[in-house]
Amino acid sequence: MGGTDALLAARLAAGDDYALAEVFDRFGPAVYGAAACVVGAGGGAQDVVQDVFVELWSHPDRYDPDAGSLRGYLMLLARHRAVDTMRSELRRIARQERHYRLTIDESPPSPGEQVLSAHMASEVRTAIHRLPAAQRQVIELAYFEGMTCREVASAVGIPEGTVKSRLRLALAKLETVLDRQLLEAP
Amino acid sequence: MTATQPDVPTGLRARVLEASQHARAAGESVPAVQAISPAEAFSRAADALYRTLSALDSADWSRHTIRDLDVQGLVGHLTGVEDDVQRCLAGDPAVKLADHVESTQAAATRQAGRDPAQTLGEWRDAVSRTVSLVAARDDDDPEACVGLHGMRLPLHVLLVVRAFELWTHENDIRLAAGLPLAVPDPAVLRLMTRLAAPLLPVAAASAGAPGPKRLHLVLTGAGGGTWDLDMTDPAEAGEVSIVADAVGFCRLVADRITPAELDPYITGDHGQAAGVLAAAATLALD
Repeated sequence: MGGTDALLAARLAAGDDYALAEVFDRFGPAVYGAAACVVGAGGGAQDVVQDVFVELWSHPDRYDPDAGSLRGYLMLLARHRAVDTMRSELRRIARQERHYRLTIDESPPSPGEQVLSAHMASEVRTAIHRLPAAQRQVIELAYFEGMTCREVASAVGIPEGTVKSRLRLALAKLETVLDRQLLEAP
Repeated sequence: MTATQPDVPTGLRARVLEASQHARAAGESVPAVQAISPAEAFSRAADALYRTLSALDSADWSRHTIRDLDVQGLVGHLTGVEDDVQRCLAGDPAVKLADHVESTQAAATRQAGRDPAQTLGEWRDAVSRTVSLVAARDDDDPEACVGLHGMRLPLHVLLVVRAFELWTHENDIRLAAGLPLAVPDPAVLRLMTRLAAPLLPVAAASAGAPGPKRLHLVLTGAGGGTWDLDMTDPAEAGEVSIVADAVGFCRLVADRITPAELDPYITGDHGQAAGVLAAAATLALD
C-alpha cells in the first residue's frame, strides 16, 4: 500500500472508521489548538474540530495526498472554519449592536453573554482597526451599520463597484491577519 | 519545528466520532458507486470480455492460458459453463454436483481447429441465452437456491459469481495476449467485493486457518468497503485488521495472485492475517 497519508485517505474513502479514529488521535490536538487560537478555547473550538473531522469523513475524496500532507489539509480546513466562525460572530455582534440602538430602552445582554463574545469580538475589532481607513470605513458601514453596498456607495460618495472591491480587499486582509494568528499558534 | 499542542477536551474525541458516524455510516465507500443488479453485473462482465476477445489477433487465440487450455479452449470452457447454467435454470439435477472443469471440458476441446470467430459467436450466443433465461425467470422467492458445480446458492448470487469468473478469465486471456489487466467496472466490483468479503470466515474455517476472533477488512478503491467479520472458528481472542486494494483482493480470491503480491497493510497478528488471506484463494473456482 502507499504512503501513510495516501493509505489513510484510501481507508477513509473505504468507510474505515478505525482510520478516522487514527486520524483524530494523530491530528486532533493540532486541529483543536489551531481552532482555539482563533476562536478561543471552549465550545467554539470544539465545534470547529467537529466540523473539520465530519467534513473529512463525509468527503475524504476532497483530500488529495499528492497535493500535500493530511495534517496540512486539516489545518487549512480548521483555519477556514475558524475564520468562518469569526465572521459569523462579527455579523452577530453587528446585528446585536444595531438591535441595541433601535431598542435602547430594552435590557442589554447579560454579563455572561457579553463575556462569551468578548474574546472573538476583540480579535476581530483589532484586525478591523488595522485596516486602511478607506477599507475600514466600508467594513464598518456594511457590517456594523448594516448598509447594502449601494447605501455605502451613496454614503461615502464612491461608485458601488469600488465599495465591493474595497470590501473584498478588506475581508481578504482580515482573513490573512486571522490566518497569521492561527499559523503562529502553538 | 515542534510546537506544544493543547490537550483535547475530554469527550471531544467521542463527540467527533459519533457526529461523523451520524453524517456517514462506516462500511460504505465514497464516492458512492452506482448500485446495479447482479444480472446487470453479469451482462457488463460479459460485454467487457466480448470487447477483449473482439480485439484479439488471430494468433492470440492459440496462446496458452490456464490449465492445458489456449485462449480458444478457455472461451469454449466458458461456453460450456453457460450451457450448464442454462441446464441449472431448467432444473437439471445433473449439473448440481458436476465438476466445474470436467463438465465443460468437451466444450473446451471441441474448439480445436475451429475459426476463432465461430468460437466467439458460439460463446456470445450462449451468454445471450443465459441473459434471456434470467430475465424471463419469474422469481417468487429471490432467495430460492439453484445448484451448479457443487454450489448451492440464490440465482442473484450465482450471477455475481459468474461475473467474477468472466472478469477472471478475461484477465487470463489478456495476460496470454500481452495486454494490460482489466479492472472491473466499479459497480460490478462492488458486487464482487460484497460477495467475497463475507465468505472469508467460511473459507478460513474450511482451510483450517488459525484466524482471529474478529476480522476488520478494508478494501480500498472504487467498489471497495469495510467489513467487520466474526470468524467462524477463531484460534484465540483478538482482532486482525487487513487493508488491501479491492481489485487486488478479488484477484487473490480468484487465486491469481499470492497474499504477498497483494501487499496488504496489516494490524494485529500477522500470522493470523496470512492464514486468512491464504484461505481466500480457496474460494476460486478454477
